[in-house]
Amino acid sequence: MMQEKVPGGTQEAEGDASMPVAELRSVSKSFGSVLAARDLNLSIRQGEFLSFLGPSGCGKTTALRMLAGFETPTEGEVRIAGEVVNDLPSFRRPVNMVFQSYALFPHLTVAQNIAYGLQQQRPRPTREEVSAKVSEALETVRLAGFEGRRIWEMSGGQQQRVALARAIVNRPRLLLLDEPLAALDRKLRKEMQIELQDLQRSLGITFVLVTHDQEEALSLSDRICVMRGGRIVQIGSPRELYDEPASKYVADFVGTSNFFEGSIASKDGEQAVLKLADGQTMAGTCAPGLSVGDKACVSLRPEQIALENAASDGAHPVTVLNRIFLGEHTEYLVSSETLGNVIVLAPRQAERAGTSYNKGDKAWITWREDAARILLSEQ
Amino acid sequence: MTQRERNWLLLAPAAAWFFVMLILPLSFVFVFSFGERGDAGGYVPAFTFEQYANLPARFAAFKNTLILAPLGTLAAMLIAYPLAYQLAVRTDPKWRLILLVLVIVPFWTSILIRSYAWLFILGGQGIPRLLDFIGIEDVRLIYTPFAVLIGIIYGYLPLMVFPIYVALDRLDKRLLEASADLGARPMTTFFRVTLPMSIPGMATGCMLVFILLMGEFLIPALLGGGKVFFVGNALVDLFLQSRNWAFGSAVAMMLIVVMLVTVTVYMRLIARLNTQRDDDVALM
Repeated sequence: MMQEKVPGGTQEAEGDASMPVAELRSVSKSFGSVLAARDLNLSIRQGEFLSFLGPSGCGKTTALRMLAGFETPTEGEVRIAGEVVNDLPSFRRPVNMVFQSYALFPHLTVAQNIAYGLQQQRPRPTREEVSAKVSEALETVRLAGFEGRRIWEMSGGQQQRVALARAIVNRPRLLLLDEPLAALDRKLRKEMQIELQDLQRSLGITFVLVTHDQEEALSLSDRICVMRGGRIVQIGSPRELYDEPASKYVADFVGTSNFFEGSIASKDGEQAVLKLADGQTMAGTCAPGLSVGDKACVSLRPEQIALENAASDGAHPVTVLNRIFLGEHTEYLVSSETLGNVIVLAPRQAERAGTSYNKGDKAWITWREDAARILLSEQ
Repeated sequence: MTQRERNWLLLAPAAAWFFVMLILPLSFVFVFSFGERGDAGGYVPAFTFEQYANLPARFAAFKNTLILAPLGTLAAMLIAYPLAYQLAVRTDPKWRLILLVLVIVPFWTSILIRSYAWLFILGGQGIPRLLDFIGIEDVRLIYTPFAVLIGIIYGYLPLMVFPIYVALDRLDKRLLEASADLGARPMTTFFRVTLPMSIPGMATGCMLVFILLMGEFLIPALLGGGKVFFVGNALVDLFLQSRNWAFGSAVAMMLIVVMLVTVTVYMRLIARLNTQRDDDVALM
């Protein structure tokens, strides 16, 4: 059996760097007849920042709650530091959570909230040790001097920091964050994202974040675990997910993309040719696991399409429908007779070079063949 | 009409009611308490402190009330809390409503009839007879403080269950998860999160039951049988039997004073408990 939570510092030293800090092995969870998680396999590395990304109901929160010990898997094993913890109650797990609504104790002060976890440790730390650690944690989240404040006297952003301090003060093996920034406004969210990342690097604690915000997942994570309908659909670094999505779902969820549906006409190694409904063909790099005849689509990121003012070989003629100024980029919605509506993201330099388009203008779109990815279409 | 005038207009019915039904009669009682008893009973105007000087004659009634009302309140709370906890925290929501209705089902019958039932249960043909049957002889239950206490707990339990239930039901269950997540065992979670967060419900329930108990007369009349009597019984006796309105009024005034003092002290204690909990206990 696992030991009780012990004071921080010692645990990281004990951990074998090669051993995953936590693992899900063929984990499934059903609530009555609802399968919330299906056959999850995941190995969380020591010190990484991992995100579960997916829409609501995809099973990401269930996965997190199984790591926290609030849910018991119906099948499979949850391991923390190599030990199976399926039946270990949450109060015995070396894991702490930052709750979506913070779940701070309203009847306690800020300092008492943060001290709560320390006071559960055995042997019990002295009053001086507790208050020293509380002050240190408050300094870490830049709330020094707020010890005596009441929870309701704090703003949403401050409460968020208290919740974070309450968790990290225990130096958990794994810090779980359940949509921690969802309640904050956009500007504050950006700030907190940067702070979270700094905090994770300086503390060296493994962070597991649950979010439905792809931008948040992309900017914070070392690895992202994309989920859908209770399953993990792809695990990879933000760059891998963006550049090499395994399916149309991932390409659509992570970033924005243009999709052209068809079926695979021919395949040669990684290269394949897709035949569109109207008979035209498009070449691209093929995702693994696809074969000739499969229903598939070509995915093209808006920034990989170039908008040109003269026809060239293989360019598609389009009409500009709309233009949205986004600061560094300009987003064009263009319409092609053969491809339908296409989103193009043009960098600022292109505009400076004088190639700017207005509504109704004629233009041509082109892309490099290796930018096009052929992916499995959704059922 | 200004907002202010509208507010007064809306308050008028309640104000009129309170004036006619509370302030006015209370003023009569206040005036009567300085009067004298007529030869044939009733009230004769006078200005004397004689009635108040006589109050020690009803010391037993005050003593019984001041012992049994707090005791009954405390006992009802100790019994109601686990019940409310079970209902609010542990019970499957689909059963909750049914069980809550079961808690109030006794209210569908008059308290008089229900107390009468206890008269038989505790009386010579009830529990004592059963005990006699298994060899425990000469147990006397009826007309004892114990019988009155049983009646009080039985009658007032639902009033205690509901405020505590509401407090526990409103308690954010994620706080309990947060406590467990921070390493607290279930027992610690209960004493450091659940219990402190349900103090307002407990305080409301106790206040409600205690105030009503201070004026109780039916249960002691039936189950105390003239041996265990409350101030309420003394008042019934003075106004309806011996027709000593002046003395009865003095006893009534005294009861009001006692109630004001105890309730004030009680509220101070609760307020103190709340602040103390924050400052000292929690960092232990």
